[in-house]
Amino acid sequence: MSSFSLFDLPSLFQYQFFVLALIGGVLAAVVSSWIGLFLILRKESMLVDGVAHTAFGGVALGLFLGIEPMLGALAVSTVAVYAITYMRRRGMAQSDSAIAVMLSVGFSLGIIIISMANGFNVELFSYLFGSILTLDSNDVLVLVVLALSIIGFMVFFYKEMLAVTFDEDGAKLQGIPVQGLTMTFNLLVAVTIALSIKVIGIILVVALMVLPGLTALQLHRSFKSTLIASTVFGIFASTIGIMLSALFNVATSGVIVFTAAGVFLFVAAYQRIA
Amino acid sequence: MPVTGPIIDVQDLTVKRGTSEAISNASFIINKGDYVGIVGPNGGGKTSLVLALLGLLPKESGSIKIMGQDIGSFHQWDKVGYVSQFAINFDSQFPLTVRELVGLGRINRSNMGRFRNKDDWKAVNEALDIMSISDLANKRIGRLSGGQRQRAFVAKSLVSEPELLVLDEPVTGFDPITQEKFFMQLSNLNHKKGLTILIVSHDLAAVFCRMSRVLCVNKEVHGSEISEGKVPDDVLKKGYGEHFHFAFHQHQCQGVFIDEQL
Repeated sequence: MSSFSLFDLPSLFQYQFFVLALIGGVLAAVVSSWIGLFLILRKESMLVDGVAHTAFGGVALGLFLGIEPMLGALAVSTVAVYAITYMRRRGMAQSDSAIAVMLSVGFSLGIIIISMANGFNVELFSYLFGSILTLDSNDVLVLVVLALSIIGFMVFFYKEMLAVTFDEDGAKLQGIPVQGLTMTFNLLVAVTIALSIKVIGIILVVALMVLPGLTALQLHRSFKSTLIASTVFGIFASTIGIMLSALFNVATSGVIVFTAAGVFLFVAAYQRIA
Repeated sequence: MPVTGPIIDVQDLTVKRGTSEAISNASFIINKGDYVGIVGPNGGGKTSLVLALLGLLPKESGSIKIMGQDIGSFHQWDKVGYVSQFAINFDSQFPLTVRELVGLGRINRSNMGRFRNKDDWKAVNEALDIMSISDLANKRIGRLSGGQRQRAFVAKSLVSEPELLVLDEPVTGFDPITQEKFFMQLSNLNHKKGLTILIVSHDLAAVFCRMSRVLCVNKEVHGSEISEGKVPDDVLKKGYGEHFHFAFHQHQCQGVFIDEQL
C-alpha cells in the first residue's frame, strides 16, 4: 500500500502517465457507455464478454507476430462479432451458444500461441487485467482516433440506431438500412472492446460497457437522458477508479469496476427507497 | 405528389408461410380514401396479407402495386404508416418517452444522418394532438395503458404524414369505451384528411358500422363494399364458412356510431 493520501491528488496531475491515463479512461468510458447502453437494450450484453475473451487470442497473436496487440485484438474481435451474428441470423446457433463457441475458440487460440512462445506471459497478463497507467502518447492517439470515429457515428446516426434497437421490423419498413447499420454497429462493438482492453482488461471490459448503462436505466428517464446519465456514470467510475488506484497503488481495472458497481447499487437502492 | 389511382393494386397474389399457402390467388384494389376492414377467421391469412402488402413477407407469385409502383421498386415507405399487432408488446423498461417514440416515425431513408429540425418536432406535436395524447408526451411508453400505447404507435405512424395507414388488430384487449374513442379518431382521419386506412380486426361490428369496404380473408380474399352496415352474405360465407352467422351476430350498428359524449 502506498503512503499517498487524498491530499496528494493534485500533485498526480504533474505526471504525464496520470494525465494520459485519465484521457484514455474518459474516452474509453464515453464510447463504452454509449455502445453498452445499446447492447443492453438489444439484450446482447454477453456479446461483449464473449468477444472480449475471444480478443485474448488476438492479443496473443499480436505479441507473437510482433505487431500492436490492440490491432490483433481488433482483428479477432471483428471476426468474432460477425461470426456470432452470422451463426445467430442463419439459425446455426442461439445467441448464447454462438458466444460460447467463439469465446472458447478465441481463448484456445491464445493458449496455443502462449504454449508456442515464451517470454510474453507478463505482457499478456497486462492485457487480461488492463494497464491504463502504462498508456503512452501513441496509445492515447490511437484511442482518440478510434473514440472520435465511434462518437461521430453515434452522433450522426443516433436516431436511426434508436429506431433499429427499439423495433427492427418497424425500422426496416421506414426504409432504414437495418442490416447496414447493424453491421456497422457490430464493428463499433469490436473497436470499443479492442480500445477498452488496454484500459480495463479483457476480463473486466464487459463491466465498463454494461454497468454505466444499467445504472442509468434505474433512473427511468427518456432515452436521451439515459444516454447522458450513462456517460456521466461511466466517466465518474473511470476517473475515480484511476485516481484511487494511483493514490493507493492498487489495480486500476478492479477499482473502476468496483466504483461502477458501487454507483449502480447506490442508484438502484435509492430509486427503490425514494 | 398525391396519389390519384389505386393506392393498392393486387393481382393473382399467392403468399406462402413455410410450405403452405397463406394467401391464394388474391386480386383486389384499394382506392385512395377507402376505409377498409380486413376480417376473417384466425389463421386465415390476414396478417400474412398485410405483411405481403408491406413487403415484409415475400410473395410467391402475382403482383402488388403500391401507389402505382411495383412493390419491388417502391421506396416511399414514409407514405405508409404501419402498426403491427405486436407493437404494444415492447419491453416496458425501454427508456423511451411518447415524444421520442413518435419522433422515430419521422426517420426515413432520405433524412438519415440529419439532425431533427423544427418542422420535425412540429409534426410530432401535431400527431400527438391528432391522437389526443399531447398530455402524455413526456411520459415513458412503458407506463402507458394498452389504449394509450396503441394511440402512441398510431401517432408514430402518422407523423410522416402517410397516405396509407395499416393497423393490425389495433384494439385487441381494449374496453368498449376506449375502443370506441380509438375508432372515432380513425374515422375522423379518414373523413377529414382523406387518409386511406386498412385495419385487421375481429370486431365485425366496428368494421361493418364504420368502414366503407371489407376484405374477408380465409386464404382466398373476397372484397365488398359495405352499405349501411351490411355486407353480402356470400362474402362472409366464403370467409367464415357455412356458420358465418355466428361470426357476426353482434354486428348491429345501433349504438356503435360516433357518440358525441365520448
